[in-house]
Amino acid sequence: MGATAVSVGSLGAAGKAIGQPKKPIPTTPVKIATVSFLTGAAAAPFGIPGYNTFMMCADVINKEGGILGRKIELLSKDEAGGVDAQVKLCRKLVLEDKVDVVLGYISSASCQAILPLADELGGLIIAYDCGTHELMEGAKSPYEVPKFKLGFRSKAHLGIDNIGLALVIKKYFPKIKTIAGINPDYAWGRESWQIFEVAMKKLMPQVEVVKTLWPPLGNTDYTAHISALMGAKPDIVHSSLWGGDAVTYTKQAMGMGFFKNIKMAYSRGEPYPQEVGKDFPEEQIICCAGTHYFLYPPHDKSPLNKWFVTEYNKRFGKYPTYPCYHAYQAIYAYKYAVEKAAKAVGGWPEIDDIAKAAVGLSFKTPSGTLTIREDHNAIEDVLVGFTKLTPKYPFPILDPKRLEVFPASQVNAPVGIKTVDWINSWK
Amino acid sequence: MWVIYTLNALYFAALLFLTSLGLNIILGVMGILNLAHGSLYAIGAFMAAWTIIHIVTKAPVFFLYVSLLSGLVLAGVVGFLMEKSLIRAMYKRTLEYQLLLTFGALLLLEDVIKMIWGGQAYYASAPFDLLGKVDVFGNVYPIYFLFVMFITFLAGLFIWFFMGRTKLGIMLRAISLDREMATGLGLDIGRLSTFAFVLGSGLAGLAGALVVPTTPALLGIGMEPLILAFIVVVVGGLGSLKGALVGALLVGFTRSFGIAIFPEIELPLLFLIAGIILVVKPQGLFGR
Repeated sequence: MGATAVSVGSLGAAGKAIGQPKKPIPTTPVKIATVSFLTGAAAAPFGIPGYNTFMMCADVINKEGGILGRKIELLSKDEAGGVDAQVKLCRKLVLEDKVDVVLGYISSASCQAILPLADELGGLIIAYDCGTHELMEGAKSPYEVPKFKLGFRSKAHLGIDNIGLALVIKKYFPKIKTIAGINPDYAWGRESWQIFEVAMKKLMPQVEVVKTLWPPLGNTDYTAHISALMGAKPDIVHSSLWGGDAVTYTKQAMGMGFFKNIKMAYSRGEPYPQEVGKDFPEEQIICCAGTHYFLYPPHDKSPLNKWFVTEYNKRFGKYPTYPCYHAYQAIYAYKYAVEKAAKAVGGWPEIDDIAKAAVGLSFKTPSGTLTIREDHNAIEDVLVGFTKLTPKYPFPILDPKRLEVFPASQVNAPVGIKTVDWINSWK
Repeated sequence: MWVIYTLNALYFAALLFLTSLGLNIILGVMGILNLAHGSLYAIGAFMAAWTIIHIVTKAPVFFLYVSLLSGLVLAGVVGFLMEKSLIRAMYKRTLEYQLLLTFGALLLLEDVIKMIWGGQAYYASAPFDLLGKVDVFGNVYPIYFLFVMFITFLAGLFIWFFMGRTKLGIMLRAISLDREMATGLGLDIGRLSTFAFVLGSGLAGLAGALVVPTTPALLGIGMEPLILAFIVVVVGGLGSLKGALVGALLVGFTRSFGIAIFPEIELPLLFLIAGIILVVKPQGLFGR
């Protein structure tokens, strides 16, 4: 590894490389580490699709000439093994392997542990898929931004999914009286429900919460939960279950006649109709973790989405799901930030220049436009839809006539304000 | 709804009974506390899922259900190899050695599973989907869950008959009652122990195979059943078949009704009940 790696390393150690005169663009490849679950429960639904997309995008970028002429060399790593193992791995990637950037992390726990390392090690880290809204927020509003100088997240946090669901429920089901929740019993589930509940209280104060269930992650038998929910007779049940849990829950609920009288609102439901197949119940409320959907924006309006879907399908035989879009956003955020910084400094930029350029970066993605704010967190619009079977696909798609898109400004708290406080301040 | 809560409890108890039955036989006959029992459950799950996925479009429906036995067979084979290689040396050692060794086996088997089947999820829901639903007093209930209860009932009946009425079973019980005396009477302890371990492992594999049409096979699938099976064995009494049954029912009913009535304290409630039983009756409900 040539000049860049050395400069990144020495910058991390002493911070003295800032403000050097113009640097020629090295001829060595750009080393990008990607970290996602390659084994375990989150591999099939999130990790592997993300990994596939990183590979695909790197390949495409390389064929188009790389980043400022430098080819991308990917180091794909497994996120499994727990937070401690990830902290060690990240140290190794930045200090020993001297990667130019780490794009990674699906688990919110990983992100919470890793992003502080960015400043400690002096390495650029972009969180690409984890959801916790606490990652970039401070303890109290208003809080100082950015929390991490070299740590970013190239997607919006889980707030948008749950606020989006509440907005859709208010619009389409203004008369409902009761809701319930089934969310996995750890930070992700608790936070998703918290945001949803706060937003519902604000938007529809008359609605009563009749049951909240917290099955453990990796639960294999949901029958007791399903019956308990059916017994409580809610109109709509909110859920942030994901991966195998979401599929298991849905299939067992189908078997128990759950969907006859109750509707589900899945905060991250987008991948599962494809996973479960044509039996996946219709008319369920599904959020897409942003506007990440293989049919949105429609292909005649977005050639980029059309290309992305076709290319992914050609390579991997499936339609891209939201983790694929997140991976695209991360790798291109890095590419565009480097290119923007290079223009400013006239040469290959230092890590601080890249971080500076990333703030305010706004670029087209297959899902629309992504903007990275001063708090180093991206904001996105959010798409919520209703499942519907059509003759064209072997699984229900989101009914094209009822796609609800809420603009980023409507579902993201302003910079420096905590999401919960912001919702509570709604008039 | 109460009918369904009860059925849910019975279904959960059925799977748990199968898992803890195996754990209990191994513990009772051999005095081995097998921490890798959950891994044998996982092996059963992966094997059955793999078989179902590979034959689902080719074989008649009936074979899908027969193929669940593949989980039992493979877990039995792995159990055989484990006993012959690792467990054998542990009979005369203290509990600490067993725990260390079987915990090592747990980690090892988890990696073996990863090596063979990779890190992905295996979805094999055809046996669940094909059986459809039935009306139970106005409530919809999947027939597959009833099928699981039925198979567990058969397995339980078989083990009860086997342990109580066959010569082999009586020899196993003799070993569990008094190992030295059984040796003195000329029983081939080595072979019988292998047999008990294979039987216990096979039951864990069967439980894993039965669960897989309702949930994907994933790494780590054996952990929760292992923990709950321990509760069952501790509550029911070490080495008691009746204890395994009652313990499994207790856990199943506490869980089902706990989730319906006090969802926030479902797990603490379970441990609380286990704790009370152990304080009042340290040897478990039916322990000796």
